[in-house]
Amino acid sequence: MKLAIFWGCRILTSQYAYEMSIREVLPKLGVELIDLREALCCGDPVKSVNEFAANYLGARVLALVNLTGLCDVLVPCNRCHFVISEAKHLLGTDEKTRAKVEDLLKEENLKYNPNVRIWHTIDLLHDRVGLDCIKKSVSKPLKGLRLAVHYGCQILRYSSLGRVDDAENPRKLDELIKTIGAETLDYSERLDCCGSALMYGHVDSALSLASSKLKAIQALNVDGLIISCPDCGYMFDAKQKDGASVIGAKLSLPVLYYTQLLGLAVGIAQDKLGLHLNQSPIDQFLTKVPV
Amino acid sequence: MTRIGVYVCHCGLNIAGTVDVEKVAEYAKSLPNVVVAKHYTYMCSDPGQRMIQDDIKTRKLDRVVIATCSPRMHEETFRKAVGEAGLNPYLSEIVNLREHVSWPHTHEPEKATEKAKALVRMGVARVRLSEPLKKRKVSVEKNVLVVGGGIAGIQASLDLANAGFKVWLVEKAPSIGGRMAQLDKTFPTLDCSACILTPKMVDVAKHPNVTLLTNSEVVGVKGFVGNFEASILKKPRYVDESRCVGCELCTEVCPVKVPNRFNEKLDQTRAISIYSPHAVPKIAAVNSGYCLRLKTRKDVCGKCLEACEAKAIDFSQKPETIQIRVGGIILAVGSEVFDASKMYEAGYGRFPNVILNMEFERISDASGPTQGKILSPKTGQPPKNMVFIQCIGSRDKRFHEYCCRVGCMVSLKQAILAREKLGEDVNIYVCFNDLRSFGKGYEEFYRRARDMGINFVAGIPSDIRMAADGSLYFDVFERGTNKLLEMHADLVVLANGLVPSEDIKKINELFHASRSADGFLLEAHPKLRPLECSTAGIFLAGTCQGPKDVPDTVAQASGAAAKAMDLLSSGEIELEPLKAIVEKDLCSGCRVCESLCPFLAIEMKNEKEDDAEKIRAEVIEAMCQGCGLCSAACPTGAIKIQQYGNKQVLAQVDAALTETDAKGGN
Amino acid sequence: MSLVDSMSMAKPNFQARERILAKLHGRELLNCFQCMKCTSGCTALKLLELKPHEIEKLVNLSLIDELVSSDIIWTCVTCLKCVQRCPQMASPYHVIMVLRNLAVEREAKVPEAFMKAVSLVLESGLAETAQKITTRTMKVCERESLKLPKIGSPRESFQAVFLKALEEK
Repeated sequence: MKLAIFWGCRILTSQYAYEMSIREVLPKLGVELIDLREALCCGDPVKSVNEFAANYLGARVLALVNLTGLCDVLVPCNRCHFVISEAKHLLGTDEKTRAKVEDLLKEENLKYNPNVRIWHTIDLLHDRVGLDCIKKSVSKPLKGLRLAVHYGCQILRYSSLGRVDDAENPRKLDELIKTIGAETLDYSERLDCCGSALMYGHVDSALSLASSKLKAIQALNVDGLIISCPDCGYMFDAKQKDGASVIGAKLSLPVLYYTQLLGLAVGIAQDKLGLHLNQSPIDQFLTKVPV
Repeated sequence: MTRIGVYVCHCGLNIAGTVDVEKVAEYAKSLPNVVVAKHYTYMCSDPGQRMIQDDIKTRKLDRVVIATCSPRMHEETFRKAVGEAGLNPYLSEIVNLREHVSWPHTHEPEKATEKAKALVRMGVARVRLSEPLKKRKVSVEKNVLVVGGGIAGIQASLDLANAGFKVWLVEKAPSIGGRMAQLDKTFPTLDCSACILTPKMVDVAKHPNVTLLTNSEVVGVKGFVGNFEASILKKPRYVDESRCVGCELCTEVCPVKVPNRFNEKLDQTRAISIYSPHAVPKIAAVNSGYCLRLKTRKDVCGKCLEACEAKAIDFSQKPETIQIRVGGIILAVGSEVFDASKMYEAGYGRFPNVILNMEFERISDASGPTQGKILSPKTGQPPKNMVFIQCIGSRDKRFHEYCCRVGCMVSLKQAILAREKLGEDVNIYVCFNDLRSFGKGYEEFYRRARDMGINFVAGIPSDIRMAADGSLYFDVFERGTNKLLEMHADLVVLANGLVPSEDIKKINELFHASRSADGFLLEAHPKLRPLECSTAGIFLAGTCQGPKDVPDTVAQASGAAAKAMDLLSSGEIELEPLKAIVEKDLCSGCRVCESLCPFLAIEMKNEKEDDAEKIRAEVIEAMCQGCGLCSAACPTGAIKIQQYGNKQVLAQVDAALTETDAKGGN
Repeated sequence: MSLVDSMSMAKPNFQARERILAKLHGRELLNCFQCMKCTSGCTALKLLELKPHEIEKLVNLSLIDELVSSDIIWTCVTCLKCVQRCPQMASPYHVIMVLRNLAVEREAKVPEAFMKAVSLVLESGLAETAQKITTRTMKVCERESLKLPKIGSPRESFQAVFLKALEEK
């Protein structure tokens, strides 16, 4: 299957591991990814400044997808996924806004396509590639690993927009992890937010939120935390040390992207999956992974 | 020559405030055949009616047009008045100048007046072609089917039986009593529920005018008001009712455990058991879904057969269907509670210490699974911190938009019972949005709860979480203190509201009883006709019509019984003549009308004609509601609605399209 | 005069409320019945004292001007829990976003980082600049050294059109 891929900002400018692991793993599962000709912001920070302009950017992404001739786009970032989904929904229900946006796009020689389907890594793998296909591709099942899962907020909420998984009891990522041999567990703080949006103005509070969650997960004696969004990745992985000092705790929790974990199970080399780029202490985690 | 009188009502200022009623009356005078046109402040009043009656007599009117408010208000009134003056009531016509003119066009009085003139012109054109019609009398069966044996059905049955009506009371469970039998105490008096209910249960079972059919369901309904035919399926108990003495020896020896529905599945009963502690009738029944013998259809187990000294168990019993004829039906089928596991964040079904109001009720009841001891399910010990959380699944657009009406009072009651049983050893909190204690004695009850030191937290938590030891913790922002309270509880009781029962759709289809948007059964009019369906002859009682408490249920049940009595006591009813009628010569037997009729009011009859068998449509007058669907669809124009034939409708259309000229002529 | 907030002498601004309702694409804001669910679960409450129910009520009563120039509307974490759980679909998050837009319009207290992000998007199409990552073994990596494809820039027409979009009220 062929999909366009929209990376957003964060992945392209700092969360390289997520990009590397996606580019490596997905083709092995039969997914061909077509890059868009232009990189652009989905509109997430613009929402707070001017929602119309943000919706314009979201629609523009779908217009760029339209240029590829494809009707599906993979959006691996939770925030981009939300912004673009809201833009699509609004343009589908508000004639006036749609007309205005289409007029502006025309000035750029772009055309909005309302039929583009928006995917995230989780539902693409779970619903389209399918658990069976993934299981068949596993050559090194991750037996014995006990993992906590963090879905993030903006791909689960709010249900009436149509999201990637159930907002209160999401299971897809847990199942994806089970399929490759590892175990997951439920915990009270499962649906809590990583706080990344506060990095725009309240850095300490953001880090406090992220590290409090890490602290709670650490107490569960798991082997690692699995995430699937570059903002969550930034908070839990890149900023783990800073977060630990904000709340005065000792944090030492391995944090990986699901696509990195999947890559390991499918037998891809560690450096190809960007595992050297994770800032959290994943070396101890990697020793538990069958070679 | 037709002589028409036109009467324009001011309706106080309701019509006259917008429409120039004088001008309309003047205009009416100019219409052909109109011999008199008057206007008056309140046509429906005594002097107003008398004005019309006098004119009918003195001016020899043979048609009357009354331009007033909606026919739903006073059509009957005016027809009666006209009839009393000696003119056939169906030679009068109501033109609606209120709901159709003055109310929607309040800001355009000139245009409104022109529209009023046009509507009067149309009314006159129509009434000119009206024909005299007569109401028809049909005899009715003086007995009633009551569906549902909870307090609503029981009360209605007793009222009817005492008034001399024969009652069939059908209940699908093996015992009557319904929800009220499951309650420990009732608010606001804290009467023991069983103590006030069981005497009525016994009375209704013993009453000579009541035939009680438990373990039974209505499976088919045919006919029409006054003449219903119902099929009732008696499901087999596999126990001979004449022999069983209710000793429960069979239950003691039965090896198969079954979730106990009466105790909200908090404990288990056996595959053969008596349904509830105060069951009426006190006769055992076998649960065919669990019983080994019935499931495998082999001669296995049989321990109950051995143990029963009265030799009452009979595995050869078969379901039996009986047909009954009744004049009216009262639906008292009750409701269910919201499945709180649908609200995942509340933790019900995942956390053992989160329970529901109804489960608490069974725990508190001395005849329940814990013999009345209040305890926290995880530890089996009395709770130290109890929290009630209101509005679970109610007042919530994601689940049920309506207020469940009883949740606040139920939680207040349960909080008071917990305080009475556990004393000061327990902290009790009620987290609420609005606390609704609206009925007689209810506010005083709320005060009683506060006097007992029960804490009221004005705020609902976002989610509930469970600690490793099974205790629950959650944050609530409290409106009064403006503080975020971190709460810990070892027992959380969710006030999940009443919802339509899962077989409401079946009821809806079986009885042609409509449902409102919230899913409950729909009354004919929420203010003026709250006890009956729009389907004639079917009445409503209890929570199947909407969530309510025991006092309101009993009142509604007695009301429904009175309505049934009103309908049936004279032994006959009158049918409105504005029904469909078939001109046999034009009917080709194509059956289109039969297939379209939503009220199943058309039958195809075989008729012999010139040695040939012909199929022709025939209208069952009592079922026909005069909706006109058949008339619109009939390809030959054979079926039409009395007083709404093509000629009359087209005359109105022509009149509508005629210009009103300045002088008022047409 | 219908109402005065005697704590701040603020008067209701009915026009502002109508504007907010128009921008919200729905009138559910008016249905908020102060059940406290949003605030009880608000991610930003404990650390930053954000009370979504209070913002809903203030906007409902048209006491908007103070909110627009406040710091509190910038504390929302956008976790969307309030949108998910509100029984009346009154969605405080969306109200807060509209208040932020009004703050930008009125040039009130807008955190620098947001305006910086917007300028960056205008310039380069992205809201972030490419960073160098230091690995756990102290190696420095960037897109090129990781053999990741170059980032394509937006077409020429983008800047002007995006500016137009930003002017839409």
